[in-house]
Amino acid sequence: MFKPHEMVKLEVISLNRYKDKLLTYLHEEGVVEIREVSVEIAQKDTPNEFYRKATSHSIGLSRLVDFLGAFKEEAKGGIKGFLFPEPVPKKPYRYRSIESLVKEVEAFLEEAEPEIKEVEQKLNSTSTEIERIKTNINVLELLSVLELDVSYMKSTKFLEIVAGTVDKDKFTPMIDELKETLKGRIAYVSKEIRGAYLVVIAVLKTDYDKANPVLAKYSFGRIEIPEGKGTPGELIKEYEVMLAEREKKLDEIKEEAKKLAEKYHDTLSFYQELMENEREKANMLGNLARTNMTFALSGWTPKEDVEKVVEGVKRITEGKVYINIKGAEDDDLEDIPIKLKNPGWAKPFEMITEMFGVPKYNEIDPTPILAFTYSFFFGFMLTDFMYGLIIGVVAAMLVKGHKHLKDGTYIFSKILLWSSFFTMLMGVVFGSYFGDALQRMGIKVPYAIDAMRGALTVLIIALIIGIIHLFIGYTIGFIVKWRNGEKKAALTEQLSWMLIIIGIGMFALSLKGITLATPAKAIFGIGFVLFVISELSNGGLAALLIISDFFGFIGNWLSYARLMALALATSGIALVINILVSMIWGIKIGPIPIGIAVGLILFIGGQLFSTAINALGAFVHALRLHYVEFFGTFYSGEGKKFEPFKSKRNVSKLEMEI
Amino acid sequence: MGVEVGTITAILDTTLAIVFTWVGYKTADILWKYTPYSYPNARIKAMEARLFSDQKFSELAESKTLNNFVMNLEDTDYKPYLSNIEGYSAEKIDRALDNALADMYTLMIKILPKRSNGFFKLLLQEWDVRNLAAAVKAKIMGDVARDYIVELGTMVDKIKAIAETKTLEEILVILEGTEYEDVYQKLLLNEINLEEFETELYRIHYKKLMSYAQSRKGEEKKIIEEFLKLKIDKINVMTILRAKLHRMSAEKIRPMIIEGGSLNQRIIDTLLNVEDLSMALAELDSTRYSQVLRESREALESGDLSALDKSFEKFIQEKIGEMTRFYPLSVAVPINYILLKEHEVKKLKAIAKLIEDKIKPESIKALIGEAL
Amino acid sequence: MDPIVYVSLGAALAAGIAGAASSFGVGVAGAAAAGAVAEDEKNFRNALILEGLPMTQSIYGLITLFLILLVSGILGGGFKFAEATQENIIKGAILLGAGLTVGLTGLSAIPQGIISSAGIGAVSKNPKTFTQGIIFAAMAETMAIFGLVGALIMIVTGVGF
Repeated sequence: MFKPHEMVKLEVISLNRYKDKLLTYLHEEGVVEIREVSVEIAQKDTPNEFYRKATSHSIGLSRLVDFLGAFKEEAKGGIKGFLFPEPVPKKPYRYRSIESLVKEVEAFLEEAEPEIKEVEQKLNSTSTEIERIKTNINVLELLSVLELDVSYMKSTKFLEIVAGTVDKDKFTPMIDELKETLKGRIAYVSKEIRGAYLVVIAVLKTDYDKANPVLAKYSFGRIEIPEGKGTPGELIKEYEVMLAEREKKLDEIKEEAKKLAEKYHDTLSFYQELMENEREKANMLGNLARTNMTFALSGWTPKEDVEKVVEGVKRITEGKVYINIKGAEDDDLEDIPIKLKNPGWAKPFEMITEMFGVPKYNEIDPTPILAFTYSFFFGFMLTDFMYGLIIGVVAAMLVKGHKHLKDGTYIFSKILLWSSFFTMLMGVVFGSYFGDALQRMGIKVPYAIDAMRGALTVLIIALIIGIIHLFIGYTIGFIVKWRNGEKKAALTEQLSWMLIIIGIGMFALSLKGITLATPAKAIFGIGFVLFVISELSNGGLAALLIISDFFGFIGNWLSYARLMALALATSGIALVINILVSMIWGIKIGPIPIGIAVGLILFIGGQLFSTAINALGAFVHALRLHYVEFFGTFYSGEGKKFEPFKSKRNVSKLEMEI
Repeated sequence: MGVEVGTITAILDTTLAIVFTWVGYKTADILWKYTPYSYPNARIKAMEARLFSDQKFSELAESKTLNNFVMNLEDTDYKPYLSNIEGYSAEKIDRALDNALADMYTLMIKILPKRSNGFFKLLLQEWDVRNLAAAVKAKIMGDVARDYIVELGTMVDKIKAIAETKTLEEILVILEGTEYEDVYQKLLLNEINLEEFETELYRIHYKKLMSYAQSRKGEEKKIIEEFLKLKIDKINVMTILRAKLHRMSAEKIRPMIIEGGSLNQRIIDTLLNVEDLSMALAELDSTRYSQVLRESREALESGDLSALDKSFEKFIQEKIGEMTRFYPLSVAVPINYILLKEHEVKKLKAIAKLIEDKIKPESIKALIGEAL
Repeated sequence: MDPIVYVSLGAALAAGIAGAASSFGVGVAGAAAAGAVAEDEKNFRNALILEGLPMTQSIYGLITLFLILLVSGILGGGFKFAEATQENIIKGAILLGAGLTVGLTGLSAIPQGIISSAGIGAVSKNPKTFTQGIIFAAMAETMAIFGLVGALIMIVTGVGF
């Protein structure tokens, strides 16, 4: 807690023949972040033929998977699929070497690929044909106004016949110019349609070169005449028969594709995943150094895993290996990857910290504090027992359903689960169950504060929470800086504010007569002087910055008023819904109590909407209070996240053969 | 209290009126400014997410055959354009990619607000100018004009017809009534030469663009003008340097300069009058383009202008990219996207051509990495 | 003017201006959401959340409306300040001021919508910017919160339950 995992630097040198296996082992373990070996005497490693093949197969396979995926019967969708996704079985693969894997994939592809490609080709060509027929039908529909046999619109040995459209106002000048240029050797039919003219023009083959520029000048839009005989009307019928036939064929091909999907899809995605992982390994090779006989690899790993890794490496390389383990040193500080370390209850909240950025190796990980304050703020802003219950139930179901996946939804739901607990708690404190629904029904509920009437009290509570929160932030910042030797900065940038806050706190207490005002003023004064000193380093701008930074602090503090504002918003909306429902509750049409039915719908719908919109508000603003106000006091988030060299296994699992 | 109630009410009312007018004006102003770009901005950003990564380009370079190349483009936005071509050739793929670009322009014109979409119609006309210049040049040189034109722009049909003409007079018939007629007539009458003809076409085009930019307001005016200035400067600098390479005199170059760029007259004059290339480069070093010139200096001195072209395009791209960050909901976003997309299509065309020429994947990767 | 005019004007302006501003804000962001989804349906969830952010101001407006109605007695019981005495006029004016504060600070929904819109654009290009986008948009809401707090103090201390 509070500190990230201790990291050690790992250096391995071994024989080239173990390289593939060793990489595979590390890839499957997924606990080492491999870094580039600085190469001076040796050379960088490069992927061999099989790695290159794996890369290209990975692309090819993912294309095939995509194609077949579109035809695969969907297992389960909808809410049930979202809440309780089915676990996907992981097919085992015995790994011997990349060579044998690539060969196996190639053997499989030799069988499957032509089959799939054939169907794909058929599918494409049939779709293209359908498109073409449809275009032809459209053209024929356009031509049908001319009532001219289509075969007359085709060029002959001596005649060049063109069909097309031209703008209405360009039609006459075009015909005139054509007549003039060709000395009257022209015949045409035309019809006006929708502000344009449809024209079929016949000219002598020998005159065509002269006619063409004129046609272009008037932007004559040519139409390709479809093949066939008879009037357009007759031809359309023929084409429609063709269309129906092709569409039937298309359906058959789709059936075929479905069968193929059933046969190959899962195997393909299995191999695709294997190849994808090989590709990742291939990309990693650039970070290794090698000589003719040996290779070197370096990286970071958490200290708690190092024993296991060393043992594994020794086993794989049959002891023919040099391993060097170094603890983190001060000049590595910028380089050390950060893996957060927290107990189970705070673990999900690492997501929130990581979204902002992880701490540096010598800084404090705020996750445990954040785990508490985030869910508390969320609860404070939502402040309704029933809303909390709804969110809690949904979150609990998601946690259960996604347990085997450990995906983003699972982590997020766990955060929500904690948050819903505080929501319910705050709901009890404020006596809010669907707003004032119970009170309206005449049930007395105990409560400590009324969010509406006691709004000012809530505001004061919110501000007290805010200043404590800020104080915690400054304190952490102070500790971190002091420990890392930045004592001056710790005194002026952090301690100043801590003293100012203590001063304000004591002054507030002195108003109640609990403490004396003088020491409060003195502490505030010292803090303020320290603050002014820290600003003086800015030179000429100091005066301005003193004002703006001090009010910036006040602004940050007041910003916690949103705790109250959102709490009020929740009870406000709930109140509005309740008032509306109680207004229509009593309405009756004759003997039918229609008001109850409508009221119930309005109540359920309205409260669910209110839950959603207010939970969104609480989620966003709790996040903001941490990122902007809280982290602003001490946190840089400039560390490098630990990104282990780790395989992605959704449908496959690797068994190493050693 | 000595103040009458009436006075207080009057002060209150006036304050309210002022506050409301001001707030109303400001609100309307920012709504007017940003709302029309909300939809296009999000949509274009989503489209930017689908622009090809270097990874994708190297996958494409690995294609080995054009068939595979097209297959690799299957899950991309280019699919509909490529699916109905038969018998793959680099030329057919070129046409398909041009169609994709043309549709991109149409989409931009459709989703952008009226007050700035005219600019993209005008930008589309730049392809007309490019095509016309290329087609006429090819005709005069006796080349196959068809090979030089791109099926993009507002008058593709006319351009195609021009490419098919047998005599130069027929081209005049086709151009009759367009704004390029007069210039072409001058060319036919030998009043201007081919290079001047091309410059003249661009001059007409940029005059139109500039007057459009000047008719805009606020951010739009600023962004569009900046973009145009960059483009004009590029053309001018390229013209001057090319002329210097061929040791042309100032009088001969002067008519080929397009007005409206950000380089002022004094610099242009100096550039025209300096003796040779290296002095021209020294002069340009004091302008905002010093970076561009430094990057391509070596190639320039060996007489290769394509490196300059490349780094100039990169520079324009960067500048517009900066503007999209400065004005996130503005006309800079679509301009930036168009530049990116055109660049992508250019790369794709190059890859297709190289694959057709049976160049090795490694060499293709190296070539597209450098040349574009 | 009669106190009732001040009071109802205050309530109306609080909910009215803030509501209108929210709808503009959601409108601007909604256009962006539509654009993002038109290109890729995967953007739906992120865009929806960002689009909903400018809605809060209308809630603050609504709460103020209810508070004003409550303290003036319009809701539950009779209107307390019916007589045009000086004290009642002052209380009415305070309520007007409170309503106006929330209404005008509620205008922050419009810039918030614009920020959300730009955020939706950024998210559809790079989904990793989602959290940052939310935080940026949430910044604009601070003013509305200050407005609500100010109005609340005005109502509770100036008029009282």
